[in-house]
Amino acid sequence: MTEALEWLQFVLAPQMINGLSIGVAVVLMALGLTIIFGLLDVINMAHGEFYAIGAYLAVALLGLGLSFWWALALTPMLMAVLGYATERGLIQRVFHSKDRHTLTLLLTFGLAIVLEDVLKIIFGANPLRVETPITGGSELFGLFFPNYRLFVMVAGGLLIAAVWVLVFRTSLGAIVRAAAFDRHMSASLGVPVSRVYAATFAFGVALAGLAGVLLAPIYSVFPTMGRDFVLIAFSVVIIGGMGSIKGAVLAGLLLTQVQSISSLFISPVWNDPLLFGIMVLVLMWRPRGLFGKLGHA
Amino acid sequence: MPDKQLNPARVPDALRLFSLLFFAGALVFALVATLVGDVFFLRLATEALIFGGLALSVDLLLGRVGLLPLGQALFFGLGAYVSALVLKEWQASFWLSLVVSLLASALAGLVGGIIAIRSKGVYFALISFGLAQVVSKVVFNTRELGASDGIIGVPGAVVVPGLDSTAPTGFFLVTLAVIFLIYLGLRYLMDTPFGRQLSAIRTNEDRVPFLGFDPWRYKLLAFVGAACIAGVSGALYPMLRGFVSPELMFFQVSGNAVINVIVGGAGTLIGPLYGSALLTGLRSVVGSFTAHHQIIIGLLFVVVVIMFPRGLIGYLTPLLQRRLEARRSRHQQGEQ
Amino acid sequence: MKTKMIPTLMAAAAFTAGAYAQTGPIRIGVVTPLSGTYAGIGQQVKWGLDLAAKEINASGGVSGRQIELIYEDEEANPAVAVQKAEKLFQVSKVDFLTGTVNSGSTLAVGQVAERNNRLIATTVSFADSITADKCSPNVFRVNARAGMQSAALADWMASTKPNANVFYLGPDYEMGRSTVAAFKSAAEGKGAKTVGEVFAPLDNKDYSPFFGQMRSARPSVIYTSVAGNDTVRLFTQMAEFGLSRNVQVVGASGTVTSQNLQAIGKAADGFVTGVGYSPNIDNADNKKFVASFEAANKAQPDLYGADSYGVLFFYKAAVEKAKSTDTDKVREAMRGIQWSTPQGIKTMRAGDHQAMQDMYAVRVNGGKFEIVGKVAAAAAIGPDSCTKF
Repeated sequence: MTEALEWLQFVLAPQMINGLSIGVAVVLMALGLTIIFGLLDVINMAHGEFYAIGAYLAVALLGLGLSFWWALALTPMLMAVLGYATERGLIQRVFHSKDRHTLTLLLTFGLAIVLEDVLKIIFGANPLRVETPITGGSELFGLFFPNYRLFVMVAGGLLIAAVWVLVFRTSLGAIVRAAAFDRHMSASLGVPVSRVYAATFAFGVALAGLAGVLLAPIYSVFPTMGRDFVLIAFSVVIIGGMGSIKGAVLAGLLLTQVQSISSLFISPVWNDPLLFGIMVLVLMWRPRGLFGKLGHA
Repeated sequence: MPDKQLNPARVPDALRLFSLLFFAGALVFALVATLVGDVFFLRLATEALIFGGLALSVDLLLGRVGLLPLGQALFFGLGAYVSALVLKEWQASFWLSLVVSLLASALAGLVGGIIAIRSKGVYFALISFGLAQVVSKVVFNTRELGASDGIIGVPGAVVVPGLDSTAPTGFFLVTLAVIFLIYLGLRYLMDTPFGRQLSAIRTNEDRVPFLGFDPWRYKLLAFVGAACIAGVSGALYPMLRGFVSPELMFFQVSGNAVINVIVGGAGTLIGPLYGSALLTGLRSVVGSFTAHHQIIIGLLFVVVVIMFPRGLIGYLTPLLQRRLEARRSRHQQGEQ
Repeated sequence: MKTKMIPTLMAAAAFTAGAYAQTGPIRIGVVTPLSGTYAGIGQQVKWGLDLAAKEINASGGVSGRQIELIYEDEEANPAVAVQKAEKLFQVSKVDFLTGTVNSGSTLAVGQVAERNNRLIATTVSFADSITADKCSPNVFRVNARAGMQSAALADWMASTKPNANVFYLGPDYEMGRSTVAAFKSAAEGKGAKTVGEVFAPLDNKDYSPFFGQMRSARPSVIYTSVAGNDTVRLFTQMAEFGLSRNVQVVGASGTVTSQNLQAIGKAADGFVTGVGYSPNIDNADNKKFVASFEAANKAQPDLYGADSYGVLFFYKAAVEKAKSTDTDKVREAMRGIQWSTPQGIKTMRAGDHQAMQDMYAVRVNGGKFEIVGKVAAAAAIGPDSCTKF
């Protein structure tokens, strides 16, 4: 009996809490992606690169002498500007053709290639360091956790909650949901739809950039870091339902838990194939994912 | 004139002209290169043709069925590995290797297709991507397949006694013949009821069941067909280079194939061949001048997607067609 | 008729090329990753080669002929490396080729060299197979291979931490696994005990799932063969979780290098590895080399830079001994040759084309690689298992 309890406390619990900290990171990435798809119907294959740009921006700001907290506050704002410009300058150009899905996918795919090389040209190919702003660790239930990871979990959780409130409880969120549900009707009701689109894309990009800054002290910064989260973020969004915030949060937390706990029993090399297998099964059972689209559910 | 309207699947003369230009041009190139005693450019061109075959398989799915595959390198790499193993461990025969690779790709295509075909659009793209990721990771870790180093020491494949794949000109012509046959086959297929079904599915899939056809079966067949084309093209690779490595299954290869198709002209079938030839040459040349070739190709691609989404051949064909028709009507008027 | 023209034309081309080759510059092709994940290594390779070429040319060249380096980017992809190597052999008509980084590329390019009757040397690839079961008469290696690195490290560990409990963590692919296996057998041969072994996926983001296992095994030594970005993440996360306290961390030579040292920062202090080079090697040649390297590139040389620097001197010694650049004569000359490098005198073992050199155990401290142990060349090299020639 005590052996089982000990296993629960010293083996399973830390694994689950670690899974939670990874899960929060994944959900932040997936949120931006699903919002962009839910409203704009745009598959943003460059999302990973925006995450990387956020981390690099933090490196640059830290290099200018600012503290980590300033970088954390400023980066999303800068990313939002970048996102707005990208939507207006690039995405809009292919948005109105009938092959929109394919073209935006291809466009963002090409953009990802370019952005990755740009980062390499500006910052070099070698990895860079962002100092952990909160050092040390705490004892929780007899286990040791780094303080910064606890901070990321808490901050991430608050952020997710804030996004929820913004989308479902404010009039701004209502406008966005209305534009997602029926853009022509919203336009005739006076909603500046094209600006809403650009702003939403900017918001999604800002979320990705923020994730980049938050996670930089843990995962370090290097030009191909955009690929770290791409597969898992897309899988989470697909399983949760493209455009569903609830889906992204639930699927993100659940799947990272599944991966964490399963790595106790099978080699973690199978994490990605496992995730992929789950995605295929979910799609076979419910081709639209678990929950519906933004504005529809 | 009325003839053309009743039979819209007939290939425009301009497109036929472009196809002729491509294959005739290839032959001229082979002649010139052989006379000059070149080896490198013949092999580079053979490689461009091999990846052109992969591009054809992507175009079958993207341009003809309307599905974007982001993991076609899976079948290409599979064909390459199977071919390498046959040549090295069994018999260095060109024909045997092609047949075995074809069978293996068909089987893999069936399995992959059953998993992927139920989805559309971005779901399909991501499942295709995920499949390639998983399998390439498995191959990367399998010691019997050479793991991350791949398999070296693949002997030249004997086509007929006296001609094997190490001969630069000979193998270039053999590859050209294979690609030509695949192209002809696809062209012919597009004119058959099967091909029309695929066009219907691409135009409006939801309507197809109301006409009495099950789109799933057609899409699966197209997927298997594309897998076979990719696999056969891949089988040619170790014959040319004498080795295979897991990088042949990585996303870079799938991504490059998609870029080749879009730049060349999706749906035109000959466009992807042009795209592959142009971009393989471009990558080789640009890569010698700067380490930042990725960004140049990436920018080119973005520009094409925004400004010329129909690709090179896709844009040139109507232009040339108009010119040809203008000339023909002038002739007819002249005769009257 | 056409088939007869080809050999005639090729013979004509060969004659003219051959005649030109004996008096003009010696062309050396370099196929190295200048873009992609390994661009940092390719950069060190380029710096080392450029410096050596400059010095050799300034002192009269090789047999009076100047060296000309021609670079091509292989993107760390064997398919590209093969294409570029063929271009260098066929179009640029290079006499010799070097620069490949990952072992897949070296093996594949070695094949191309065989087809073109030329020699290549690698200065980075450390997979044992290149000069063991997959050896080739046209491939030489001037850098230390994995077995030699393990020997140096195992020796140091046996003398400072006898009978230690060792925990192994490696990336789950061929190189990672074989490096762990090689060190494990060397260490166990000297009395160490294995208390755990895990393999993480390549490009793994988060190592915290492994820390529970690591902690409960209570090792006194942790051995890892991760590299590049993975090392940065592993070490920072280990420091985060307090795992590196009271534990000696050791690893492969590629684990901590000048490319990722800055990003790892303090978390790398105390790390020990077995390697063939350190900028702190105390001899006149090395001091001069390090000074010139730093002056030219504003960066310290690492093992890749140093070994790439040395390869041109290796080639020079062989060509001057053979009095020709003809492939067969140079190959003969290379077998058994000795030449001086910043690491001292190296000998090229004839049986498997593997360079023999003294190996060092090196500790990272404050951004510097201090030497803490040394194993003589003969003891480190291991048996000759190449049977192809």
